Amino acid sequence: MTYTGGAMRRARYRYTRTIRISHWLWAIAFAVLVSSGLQIFNAAPYLDASDATNPARRVLSIDSPQDGVGTTTIFGHTFTTTGWLGWTGDGFGGATARAFPPWITIPSYQDLADGRRWHLFFAWIAIVCWIAWLVSSAIHGSLRKIVLLPRDVPQLWPMQAYYLHLRKSPPPYDVYNPLQKAAYSLVMFVVAPIVVLTGLALSPGIDAALHPLTIALGGRQFARLWHFVGMCVLLAFFAVHLFQVATQGVVNQMRSMVTGWFAEKPVAKS
Amino acid sequence: MVCGEASGEIVKRRIFIASTASATLTGCGAIGTALNNNAGVRSILGAAEPFDYALIGGDHRAREYPKSDIAPVFRTNGFPTPTDSAYRALTASHFAAYRLLVDGAVERPLALRMTDIARFPQTTQITRHDCVEGWSVIGEWSGVRLWHVIAAAVPQHDARFVVFHCMDRDDMGVHYYESLDLHQARYPQTLLATHLNGKILDPDHGAPVRLRVPTQLGYKSAKWVKRIEIIGSLSRIAGGHGGYWEDQGYEWYAGI
Repeated sequence: MTYTGGAMRRARYRYTRTIRISHWLWAIAFAVLVSSGLQIFNAAPYLDASDATNPARRVLSIDSPQDGVGTTTIFGHTFTTTGWLGWTGDGFGGATARAFPPWITIPSYQDLADGRRWHLFFAWIAIVCWIAWLVSSAIHGSLRKIVLLPRDVPQLWPMQAYYLHLRKSPPPYDVYNPLQKAAYSLVMFVVAPIVVLTGLALSPGIDAALHPLTIALGGRQFARLWHFVGMCVLLAFFAVHLFQVATQGVVNQMRSMVTGWFAEKPVAKS
Repeated sequence: MVCGEASGEIVKRRIFIASTASATLTGCGAIGTALNNNAGVRSILGAAEPFDYALIGGDHRAREYPKSDIAPVFRTNGFPTPTDSAYRALTASHFAAYRLLVDGAVERPLALRMTDIARFPQTTQITRHDCVEGWSVIGEWSGVRLWHVIAAAVPQHDARFVVFHCMDRDDMGVHYYESLDLHQARYPQTLLATHLNGKILDPDHGAPVRLRVPTQLGYKSAKWVKRIEIIGSLSRIAGGHGGYWEDQGYEWYAGI
């Protein structure tokens, strides 16, 4: 099997300028939203499955039962997490009772007002980027290549079987394989909207304007819980996304998201 | 000892990765904090607030709850209950000497006794108090619509804001204060509350009169109100941002 090299490589214009700009703005917004969100979480480091705060329905809490000790309690099971959660740096070189540590929050020290300022600004940036991406990729035609369609569903298991080495070759697909489509569709059309809606439901002004939204989510504290879980799902997607970029030709992937042009696989000659 | 050398290399590499990762994170943290303290960045981030107010600050009513949702204990927020002699004298007299002043840009300044406040039409709401920290608690508030009191004082044509001067102070001695614009002051649910859960308001919950603004975060609902000042601009009051927490960087429009 020989490759003819560069001569046979085809370049495809995969991403419009709007998609590329919104991708990188989204990356910045995501980093800011996670770090400022954890800063905000630190002001009330617990999550309840209810409308009003209710310790009887507590799902997660991060505490410092005594100086020098940090604990994390999930569904009633308590773990010692000193140094990571509960008892962490104070952002000025010392240590203090604080849920998430200074290296992951913005600003590094505890400041709810500033955390909110970052969060509430970049939340709009993220929403604008999502809309720009949707419109641009729909016009460009790349949207239908990334969305999981009913006809892709029967191909999900064969693709998974290929990854599990139960199948020699992947099922045929165009740009994105069925599992990628499933992951992108889930993140862009289910998880991201849930994170936005649950974030809006935390606001007393939005709650007043849209009661059914908060009621559907189970109330304000429940919305806070879903908002946090949604962030965890987005972080998991982000980790897989970075892994795939790193292992599927990092230069080509990065170049395509900067210039728009993606070099297709060389054509094999037997 | 090939194995020893190899594992030594692995350890070195791990130390390298760990120290690079922690240096990167510390670097990001330092950049984030530096940006956070940059005046230009702060004003850009602050641009979200008027946008939020324009978008969601309409005449929407906060959700009202059935009696069964009332929390057994209404968690207190804000500063500790005042302990100065003036406040202790007021509580000792059951607020007989208390006067709620309504002045500033008004035609008819008022000094209302508790019995005067009780003569206004009374209203009750069971609403949720949402703290900026993230917690919530549901309670039943009774009192008089703020607008009834302001209308009785007859605001002048240049009136734009309502400032609430309070009796509580921080540990530096700075008094708490809050403000609403006239639009928010007119909301039917914006109350001067004198009762919580059917009982006369106790000192820890802001006795004798506290503000209730259920469409905004808890810090707007000023406790221990002693004077309501109607003015044209917030810039001359304390830090000029319209409230004690607003002067510390929190949003004046606290609907989000």
